[in-house]
Amino acid sequence: MLLEIVELTKRFGGLSAVSDVSFSIASGEIVGIFGPNGSGKTTLLNLIAGILAPTAGRILWKEAEIEGTSPHAVAAGGVVKTFQNPQLFMELSVCENVAIATHLRLMRRFGMLRTLELLPWRDAAREAEMANAIDRVLALCRLADVRDRAAAGLSYGQEKMLGVAMAMMCEPELLLLDEPASGLGEDEIRTLEHALRDLRDAGTTLCIIDHKVDFLGRVADRAIALQQGSVIAEGAPAQVLRHPRVVEAYLGRQHARA
Amino acid sequence: MLQLLVGQTLNGVIVGTLYGIIALGVTLTFGITGIVNFALGEFMMIGAYVTWYLFDVAGLPFPVAIGPAVAAAALCGLVADQVLFRFTRNNLINGLLVSIGLISIVEAAALLLWTTTPKDMGYVLTGAVRLGGVSVPKMKLVVFALLAAVMFLTYAALSRTWMGRAAYAYAQNPEAAMLMGVRTGILQSAVVVYSTALAGFGGALYATLYSLEPSMGGLYILKGVEAAILGGIGSLIGSLAGGIILGVTEAVGSIYLPSAFRDAYGLIFVVAILLYRPSGLFGAER
Amino acid sequence: MKALFWVPFLIIPAIVQSNFILSIFIFSFILAIAAVSFNIIFGFTGQLSMFHAAAFGIAAYLTSLIVSYFQVSFWTALVPTLAFTVLISILIGSICFKFQLRAFYFAVVTLAFSELARLVILNWNSVTNGTLGLMVLEKPSVWMPGAGLLKIDGVFSWYYFSLAALIITVALCSLVLNSWIGRSFAAIRLNEDLAQTLGINTFRYKLLSFTLANALAAIAGSLYAFYTGYIEPAYLSINQSLDIISMVLLGGSSSIAGPIAGAFVLTGLPHMIELSGEARAILYGLVLILTILIMPRGLIGTLVGLRRAA
Repeated sequence: MLLEIVELTKRFGGLSAVSDVSFSIASGEIVGIFGPNGSGKTTLLNLIAGILAPTAGRILWKEAEIEGTSPHAVAAGGVVKTFQNPQLFMELSVCENVAIATHLRLMRRFGMLRTLELLPWRDAAREAEMANAIDRVLALCRLADVRDRAAAGLSYGQEKMLGVAMAMMCEPELLLLDEPASGLGEDEIRTLEHALRDLRDAGTTLCIIDHKVDFLGRVADRAIALQQGSVIAEGAPAQVLRHPRVVEAYLGRQHARA
Repeated sequence: MLQLLVGQTLNGVIVGTLYGIIALGVTLTFGITGIVNFALGEFMMIGAYVTWYLFDVAGLPFPVAIGPAVAAAALCGLVADQVLFRFTRNNLINGLLVSIGLISIVEAAALLLWTTTPKDMGYVLTGAVRLGGVSVPKMKLVVFALLAAVMFLTYAALSRTWMGRAAYAYAQNPEAAMLMGVRTGILQSAVVVYSTALAGFGGALYATLYSLEPSMGGLYILKGVEAAILGGIGSLIGSLAGGIILGVTEAVGSIYLPSAFRDAYGLIFVVAILLYRPSGLFGAER
Repeated sequence: MKALFWVPFLIIPAIVQSNFILSIFIFSFILAIAAVSFNIIFGFTGQLSMFHAAAFGIAAYLTSLIVSYFQVSFWTALVPTLAFTVLISILIGSICFKFQLRAFYFAVVTLAFSELARLVILNWNSVTNGTLGLMVLEKPSVWMPGAGLLKIDGVFSWYYFSLAALIITVALCSLVLNSWIGRSFAAIRLNEDLAQTLGINTFRYKLLSFTLANALAAIAGSLYAFYTGYIEPAYLSINQSLDIISMVLLGGSSSIAGPIAGAFVLTGLPHMIELSGEARAILYGLVLILTILIMPRGLIGTLVGLRRAA
């Protein structure tokens, strides 16, 4: 098991955003988490990524406890998260955005001194590595033709893809995607699916939250349904989607009985 | 010894309400316009000097003098809002820097008009009352009562009138408030002007107790910000509570520790609060 | 390109005879060091620190006191001063950044520490002489090949001494800010949350930025004390911090040259134009306001923008 969540709970004052959630993700899986608004999906991802510290429970990444670790350490450990509302470096170009994301990659390959660019000579190997990685990722996310455009001038779909591109650049072992398909058009969703399958084939494990039930159904191996902070169903996507409690959560009690 | 303690505590409470009224202005401005108006101390100074002028020089009775003093401060506040703060909404750093530029200008103008020679206003109310074994000047009690009353009235107005609730709604969710027809531009200007009026009122009362110097604003805005942070930015009760706690700590502290460090207490409070309870004593837990 | 920029400055003392004007240059050079270093934490890393004047002033006192108490040279005294500045920056920075203080609260806490430092210096009369300040009678010496140990005394030698200090500061800042460290600073300034999730240890970088800025301010403060020959608690005042902030804003916070331009304008103009203290304050306030509202990118930033548009 790559990631194990054990009885994870997060309370904000009197409100329980995440309640006693337990599940695990195996290497190479694509796990889809869905649930209506307010079911705690984003909070769950924020807990895993270290942006929030849990009130109770444990998060085990490769059998080491990581709950409460700061976000940059979690990222360095191989778990990278994207944001629901795309977080970008707005004033910089697409290419520069992705370049900043090469931080971890360069550190791993070249060590701190060479990464920090303080040596007086040109480091051709480092520059080549960076340029190649950037080109590859931009091509995969269909952003190559806007590489010099400022991030502020992108369409919503492109912004989301840029967020995914930057996350991919960090060489994650586990990529957490927060509603990657929301707000995207048909074409863009297809680009996204293509990029995600590529990632999985290259060895990255994926955990995707989304609303779009059909998108998740297509992409995920396994599905987990959340409602009001608790897990209400788990299993193959098709089964989970037909689960009575899930139908009830989405469509109301009458439909569940019907 | 006990007498000293009681006396200093009472002093601290009264000074604390002065800090509190500035803190209220700071909290209101931050909640609605997203900036901290560092120049509030200058508006307090304007209120103080106009009151002194009208009471001492022009010979008007004190209650009559307060009105125009507050109006003067509010008018200057309106001008400052339209010319400056309107362009720095929700931009904390710019708002801060612009208000600091304003401080330079206002303080220099005050120096030109009134020089550094301290002005002492004549007595408004003489006589003292015995409280807890200590003799307290009646004027100080009046100042305390008036300031506390104004702060409670503000609180009541915000929770019960339509305008007030619109302000609360706006502070929680600006876009939703806008969509529901709250005239946000007018609301923001109104809050800026109201907080300068509060500061002016504080200044008018300050003039009855202490001597006036153009540099008084700088000291009080710092205390006001400290009190606002202590009580919790966003909490109206917090401004009064924060002010009083700050005032009492300074007053009582200077019995036991060198008075030169009087100003340090507030600073230490601020650091401690921001580190351990950033929302302040009465602020909402984030 | 940068090298050419400095050439005119090397020649000026040959052309300009007036000691008064040369001393304006000296003050501008020293304050430019303070401004450029402030811009590291403010313009590049996006954190408004109100501790800069404190770093400037504490170092001024430390270097002067160590030189006069222990009878050592300026350079020897600079070592413990810098060490102390680095230590106190790490301490205060750790406190601020560990607790994730954002924008306004960071400014307030650094202001609180700055004021505390000023109060200590103001009241520790036995050591610092309180409001009366201290005279600094010694001068630094530099070993020049061929001339031996030269005492930096008089306008001419101070001009080249402070110019050299500024050039070295700019070179160091250039190295750091154009490197990957500078890119990380920019990432923190533009979107700190995002930078964290991309693996950038924002705590460490902010601490580095804060420490480096304060260390360079310490050098500026020490130079200032030894040039003017007099130090007082006002060196640590909020006004001093604001002066430096104004220089950066006026010149432009997105370049290294900007703060230098701002330092020259705000140091030179008040001496060029004969104004009363109050008129000067009004002008200063107006400059600050107009810069924020009309020229937010500062002089250099706006010029660069215009050139790009043309």
